[in-house]
Amino acid sequence: MHQLQPSFDSAPEGRAVEDDSVTKPLGRAIVVTSGKGGVGKTTTTANLGTALAARGATVALVDADVGLRNLDIVLGLENRVKHHLLDVLEERVTLDDALVTDKHSPTLSLLAAAQAREKDEVDTEKMCALILSLRERFDFVLIDCPAGIELGFRNAVAGAQEAIVVCTPEVSAVRDVDRVIGLLGNKFRPQLVINRLRPQLVKKGKMLSVDDVNAILRLPLLGVIADEPEIIVTTNRGEPLALRPQTPTGAAYHAIAARIAGDDVAAPMPVLKESLLDKLGTLFGGKRA
Amino acid sequence: MSARRIVVTSGKGGVGKTTTTANLGAALAKRGQRVILVDADIGLRNLDLVLGLEKRIVFDLVEVAEGRCQLRQALIKDKRFDSLSILPAAQTREKDAITEEQFLAIVELAAEAADYVLIDCPAGIETGFRNAVAGAAEAIVVTTPEVSAIRDADRVVGKLNERRKPIRLIVNRLRQEMVRSGDMLSVEDVCEILAVELLGIVPDDEEIIDTTNRGEPVVLDESSRLRPIYDKIARRLEGEIVPFTNFDNPGFFGRLIDALKAG
Repeated sequence: MHQLQPSFDSAPEGRAVEDDSVTKPLGRAIVVTSGKGGVGKTTTTANLGTALAARGATVALVDADVGLRNLDIVLGLENRVKHHLLDVLEERVTLDDALVTDKHSPTLSLLAAAQAREKDEVDTEKMCALILSLRERFDFVLIDCPAGIELGFRNAVAGAQEAIVVCTPEVSAVRDVDRVIGLLGNKFRPQLVINRLRPQLVKKGKMLSVDDVNAILRLPLLGVIADEPEIIVTTNRGEPLALRPQTPTGAAYHAIAARIAGDDVAAPMPVLKESLLDKLGTLFGGKRA
Repeated sequence: MSARRIVVTSGKGGVGKTTTTANLGAALAKRGQRVILVDADIGLRNLDLVLGLEKRIVFDLVEVAEGRCQLRQALIKDKRFDSLSILPAAQTREKDAITEEQFLAIVELAAEAADYVLIDCPAGIETGFRNAVAGAAEAIVVTTPEVSAIRDADRVVGKLNERRKPIRLIVNRLRQEMVRSGDMLSVEDVCEILAVELLGIVPDDEEIIDTTNRGEPVVLDESSRLRPIYDKIARRLEGEIVPFTNFDNPGFFGRLIDALKAG
């Protein structure tokens, strides 16, 4: 059983660590960020965590949104959270006490944020040490970053080595993501998830396309997720869509997880489904571009 | 007489603070009010984009605070309404580039030359939130009918109560068909949880994505489905008693007619 060691002598960066008898390479710490809020950071974190766990990886999800936590709700674990990030950082409880095992995926664990505290109460150095402790135990550590680029962002990014940036095909989201990429610099090798694409609107020229977005951002594309009302339903229910790989969105999250893990699979793209209404529109209206 | 100073806030990001600020500001200006919109999201400004004014920015909020220009030099007049202006946020600075006192002083100065000052608050509850709220005497909380947005709104309502700011609520992006199928919280549910007076209900409509990208507030488009909704919110804000719209599903034929019109 490991306890959090807030000191920095626990393990040198990038080296294997003695863990009882076995030696396990350090896991990957990836921050999920965006600048703009409401683009789907938390939903992405929950679904990618679920999909990575389904591949057999051990995964820790860290909610870095102190004061406005939501990852517990999206995973349906809100009633199981007893201790939180700041309890661990302030050494009131051990990491083992605070980690909540997911109800669907046994290799997935959540470290919840404190709800009644503030972001400036997080000590950046202790946060880095905590992420390192998690990397010693888990294959993947996904950090759900708060919106904005204030202290909460800086603390969420501090312990990570890689970044996934989530962007919706909207001018304002693209501008915010561009700013975040600038702040991240070259260190985090950011990769892009485009979220909430509506192929119908793109076709009509009323939404930015994947190419439009990436002509500005120019990042390696992990995948594209369609805007589905199902996401709202599953989020409210606390059951990530990645639990249902037979659905198009669930499958897309699994493909992105495979790409993160290094598999050579294509980046998922939503397909344009022509609805009955569209066909009727074409029939009556003539030109519905 | 000095203007009403109202912060538009939410806790959670992406629920529609900026879109609400822009459209409510335009709706008030259309009614003849002098309106100044202040973008408090330093480092991640977007209000200029939503109004299509991004190319006209010369000075910003932080430069006003630092005394490098006058407030009136930094204000950008809207293309469509003479009585609507915005004060843009700085893009390459941080939220702590300005203090609560400086922010309040700028808003009070703006209030001398306006009927309404609407402050577009950044997401979160950090320094940017504290600055934005410090400048306001009242608050509009925007939420969507989702569990996570409501939890964040509840946290913000608590913080506004501590500061004794009167609060009114806008429920944004309502999908009536999902409420009916039990997949979305109803407006009644949301109001009950937050215990805040309702100011408006805005249905989820994809036209907002396009108008936002083009920098055209929907309140200017006579054919817009959302225009009358923001107009009513503006009237309620001015103290009129306006009944709430019942957003019923137009049904298959209603949608068919809409689709044909759009063609």
